[in-house]
Amino acid sequence: MKNVYRVVSLLFAFVFLAPVIWMLVVSIKEEGMKIVTVLDWFTPPYSFAVYDQILSATKLSNWVLNSFGIGVVVTILTVIIAALAGFVLSKLPFRYRSFMFFFVLAGLLVPGEAIIIPLYQVAKDMNLLNSYQGLILPALASPFAVIVLKSFFDGVPNDLLESVQIDGGGTWRIFTSIMLPLTRPALASMAILTFIGSWNNFLWPFLSLTDDNLFTLPMGIPTLMSSYSEDYVKPMVVNTIASLPIMLLFLIFERQIVKGVSLSGIKG
Amino acid sequence: MRMNKLRADVQALLYLLPFLVIYILFTIWPMIKGVNMTFYKWTLIRKMKYVGWDNYSRMIHDNEMWSAIWHSVIFVVLTTPTMVILAIALAMIANRKSRLQRLYRSVFFLPSVLSVAVASFLGLFVFQPYTGLVNSVLHLVRLLPENSEIFWLNETNLSWIAIALITLWWTVGFNFILYLSAMQDIPDEIYEAARLDGANDRQIFFRITFPYLNPITKTITMLQIIASFKVFMQIYIITGGGPLDKTRPIIQLIYQTGFKKNDLGYAATMSYMLFAILLVLSIFQYWLNNRKGANA
Repeated sequence: MKNVYRVVSLLFAFVFLAPVIWMLVVSIKEEGMKIVTVLDWFTPPYSFAVYDQILSATKLSNWVLNSFGIGVVVTILTVIIAALAGFVLSKLPFRYRSFMFFFVLAGLLVPGEAIIIPLYQVAKDMNLLNSYQGLILPALASPFAVIVLKSFFDGVPNDLLESVQIDGGGTWRIFTSIMLPLTRPALASMAILTFIGSWNNFLWPFLSLTDDNLFTLPMGIPTLMSSYSEDYVKPMVVNTIASLPIMLLFLIFERQIVKGVSLSGIKG
Repeated sequence: MRMNKLRADVQALLYLLPFLVIYILFTIWPMIKGVNMTFYKWTLIRKMKYVGWDNYSRMIHDNEMWSAIWHSVIFVVLTTPTMVILAIALAMIANRKSRLQRLYRSVFFLPSVLSVAVASFLGLFVFQPYTGLVNSVLHLVRLLPENSEIFWLNETNLSWIAIALITLWWTVGFNFILYLSAMQDIPDEIYEAARLDGANDRQIFFRITFPYLNPITKTITMLQIIASFKVFMQIYIITGGGPLDKTRPIIQLIYQTGFKKNDLGYAATMSYMLFAILLVLSIFQYWLNNRKGANA
């Protein structure tokens, strides 16, 4: 019985890994080789020539940078904006607080996909199409992030805040020297979720961009693929260049990423 | 906190301001503006003319829209139960003590970090006839005779299977992690007690593990239904909605109506149909989670 478990487990692992390994191996194969059986994919001759070709002749490396750059900017700003809002909703008494809370909560019910057509018109009216600002700005207000961070701020005891006030510290001191440090794991998890979301954001760039200098990976890759013929080497090089950085990041930060993803179960 | 009341209000508003400005500008305002668009013939260039409820009555009788919604439903039905089962199975594999435990966790989550375009194109190549990985492996193990090929993406049912498998492979990692962390929260003593009472593996799974996972299963199921309903990009890349629009989901139809047929007004109208469906699902999910006794 134990061996059955082991074999089944390994089989699953193999199936999950196979497409990625295939991608990596085909990407270093020489172009134009004849493929008869599946084993031919994995045999020499190998060559990195296509990598040079793709990196110099296409904008792929720009798109990798765009995806990372936009992801980082969106992540930092989203978390800051959500932390500010979540802090207020959690710890500052003010008029209309419960109204504000429900106003934000209602945002969880608005699927981005359902308002994408009017968003296009709004962005067009504001001259935001085909710009980094146009890609980044609409992504920055995340009701989900606000609600989750608020619930973590709720867990910070009020005694701590009062002790800062007794020392003469204001609201900003409370925010920066108590709230943020005490909720660092939650902030990190939220950052990771936001980055993954931005990394995979497809629909909005797809609608709002026509300038290929601004493309992100999900936008750019399909435009390259349509120009390649039967051979798989070029497409796989494209896939590999687009994936290696993020896969390495995943392996380095795996523990934090797993924690961040566990947090997303709170949603709903 | 003792403070002048007005000052407190102003200060709170200042902290909220960045969120509110962006939220109102890019979520609330488009939502309102979109309603307005549904009453117009509206092209990519400009507002054309007021058409009253025409877009709505057209939508009710639009077979293309209903079949696109149907395709999204098919995708939901194909991916939701399989997603839950696969996620539990993978979590059980990665939860067993073994030398490869950490490796399993990495491997099952790895596809989830790939960009949607990469995942879709890999899937597309994997399911190609003649040179694709699936057919080649089937040839190799002689499940598929040497001279025959499966044309996965030329036939509707096979296309659905291919799309569903690719989606499972690419996205199961998230749900797998949710299950894994839920399983690790189950106290060991319960398992030990069950074993002392002579329970076998099957009984332990169905009497202990699965009931313990019930709240997270409910959450995952609902989130998956909503997420699957919003499918677009994988299908767009893998089959383009084909063959003959037989796999075209609702979001693709909205996109094509707005941007290929230059009819933003009608596309917005269909968006609100999608909105209504998702809203009902979300409210149902909220109700499910907040019922008396539910603790998700």
